[in-house]
Amino acid sequence: MGAAARIASKDLKLRIRDRSAFIIGIFAPLALAFIFNVVFGGAFSADLELEYGLVDLDGGDVAQAFDEILTEIESDGLFTLSRFDSPAEAEAAIEADEIAAFFLLEEGLSDAVIEGENADLSVVGDIDAQTSTQIAASIAEQFGAGVSSTQLAVITAFALIDGPPPEESAAWGQEAAARGASYSLVDVSAETRQLDGTTYFAAGMAVFFLFFTVQFGVVGLLEEERDGTLARLLAAPISRTSIVGGKALLSFALGVISMTVLVVATQLLMGADWGPPAGVFLLIVTGVLSAVAIMGLVASVARTPDGAGNLGAIIAVTLGLLGGVFFPVGQGDDFLSKLSYLTPHAWFMRGLGDLSGGAEWTAAIPAAAAIMVFALVFGVTAWVLLKRRLNR
Amino acid sequence: MTTVLSAEGLVKRFGDLVAVNGVSFAIEEGETFGLLGPNGAGKTTSISMAAGLLEPDGGAIHVAGTPIRTNSTAGKASIGLVPQELAIYPDLTATENLRFFGKLYGMAGDGLAIRVEEVLEVIGLGDRKDDLTKEFSGGMKRRLNIGIGLLHSPQLLILDEPTVGVDPQSRNAILEAVENLSGQGMAVLYTTHYMEEAERLCDRVAIIDEGAIKAEGTRRELVALVGQRDRVRVSATGDLARAASVAAAMHSVFEASPSDLGLEVLVAEASSILPELLSQVAANGATITGVEVFEPNLEAVFLHLTGKALRD
Repeated sequence: MGAAARIASKDLKLRIRDRSAFIIGIFAPLALAFIFNVVFGGAFSADLELEYGLVDLDGGDVAQAFDEILTEIESDGLFTLSRFDSPAEAEAAIEADEIAAFFLLEEGLSDAVIEGENADLSVVGDIDAQTSTQIAASIAEQFGAGVSSTQLAVITAFALIDGPPPEESAAWGQEAAARGASYSLVDVSAETRQLDGTTYFAAGMAVFFLFFTVQFGVVGLLEEERDGTLARLLAAPISRTSIVGGKALLSFALGVISMTVLVVATQLLMGADWGPPAGVFLLIVTGVLSAVAIMGLVASVARTPDGAGNLGAIIAVTLGLLGGVFFPVGQGDDFLSKLSYLTPHAWFMRGLGDLSGGAEWTAAIPAAAAIMVFALVFGVTAWVLLKRRLNR
Repeated sequence: MTTVLSAEGLVKRFGDLVAVNGVSFAIEEGETFGLLGPNGAGKTTSISMAAGLLEPDGGAIHVAGTPIRTNSTAGKASIGLVPQELAIYPDLTATENLRFFGKLYGMAGDGLAIRVEEVLEVIGLGDRKDDLTKEFSGGMKRRLNIGIGLLHSPQLLILDEPTVGVDPQSRNAILEAVENLSGQGMAVLYTTHYMEEAERLCDRVAIIDEGAIKAEGTRRELVALVGQRDRVRVSATGDLARAASVAAAMHSVFEASPSDLGLEVLVAEASSILPELLSQVAANGATITGVEVFEPNLEAVFLHLTGKALRD
């Protein structure tokens, strides 16, 4: 066993004895996930039951192509689609809460597109179901982008049965219409593969507390410094790389153990559905690496263990909130949504979303790659600073 | 004799502060070498460089012929370090502490297990070996602190003020343990600001102040530097004036005078003249009831060299 492994093993024994790692790494996230699931889980799940309508007044080739795409997505179980003969019927369905939004294919749509003229594809949604309406608008936009980026404009509006003033609806519609295409139709389907409420809160709490759990390893270096034992480690015939490596190794081990236990526990106790194990494991490993890297950087700049703990907590909470571990971030706000991807948390949740709905484990690779960027950037910086700290 | 540690021209700066400025010394096998100086004199900085904790800004350190550097593991297995602060894990038992550090020094298996038991006996913790060290008294923790440094049988043991904050009983146990080490052939580098410890333990002493060594040698050599003499107090009755006169005429006696209790005699070195002195006093009208010898101490030397007391 190498010196790094011996140091990690010793620290693991200490953490097991003081029980702190159990509390932060397993019990706290499990308890909070359970509480969040009980309190918010039902509402969260209801929002994700997407039900749309289709009003085809055109009946042409383009309308048929759009209908086929919607039917294909429906067959993946991502939403249910009802067909209506008129906009009035569809609006009545919205009023009755049977659907969240409907696609309106106006008469002459196909002819206009084929002849190279501008045409409109409208999405009419329930003002109380903006997220669902936005998803519908995104699907329509992607179809429009596939037909022609200039000919088919998507207009989003709300059914004004009980809705807001017309100017507000119009502004929202304009904003939705102005939004550019940023993903393909395939990605649109992935976007709609949202986690169910139980899995969402289980994953959110797991990745949130992960950043506290890994602190036990890297901040241990500052504790060794405070307690005087670092002098013995530095005087021993082992490299300084081994000392830093031992701390990082413990952080990694605690993170992986904590996440794995939480995955299994939430699956067994709460019925969470994390997705294909290989993909989940990939996200866990990369997520833990990024957490170790970020908390390693915190340890490298802090002066004391308490200082590192405080700074680490601030960073963990900020990243967690921004990354959407407590609630989805920026569903109606494009800026916040983009900002959230500056956190490994958002990519972790995105990766789990990509894995849901029967996807292959490889669906997690893009998110895992993004998380690895965080791990590498922060990890290399932390490594250099920690080594410099030891080489006084 | 083999030189175990040689320090040549050590310099260490912390910003504008020159903590150690040109310190040089050497320690032979089986020798206990003391660095005596007040707090802030540069003792801990010097031994931190010797142990490979701090990189010198100038000079070089060799232990058993191997250069000691912070970024290299070479030579470090030859060194045992006992830091001034307790450096043990409170949530590990005494045995677990020893085993962990033993493994870092490449020890393993039966060899490690046997050595751990030996050290536990040496430091008197054999009956508490499986207790968590957070339950130990301060003195027991100090002894374990030393035991960890001894575990891998280093050629050089560095002790940085190991008795600071220790109760008298534990302090004596620690000093006895250190005294035994040189008898086993181990070279010991001992820092202290307690003059009594330096005099009791060290074969040679370097007096360090303001980052520089002011003088170095055996206690007697250092005392000779400042011309101090041994004082012999002979408790006696009878013709004290005659006895004093005879004593004063002896070779190596600088001064002899009667006092209320007997005679006060100043000599160059009491141990070499004491038998003859007592014989002459007894033969010239005095009845001896007791003898006390007061040797000049390092406190006086330090005061002479630096102009201040050790505890300033």
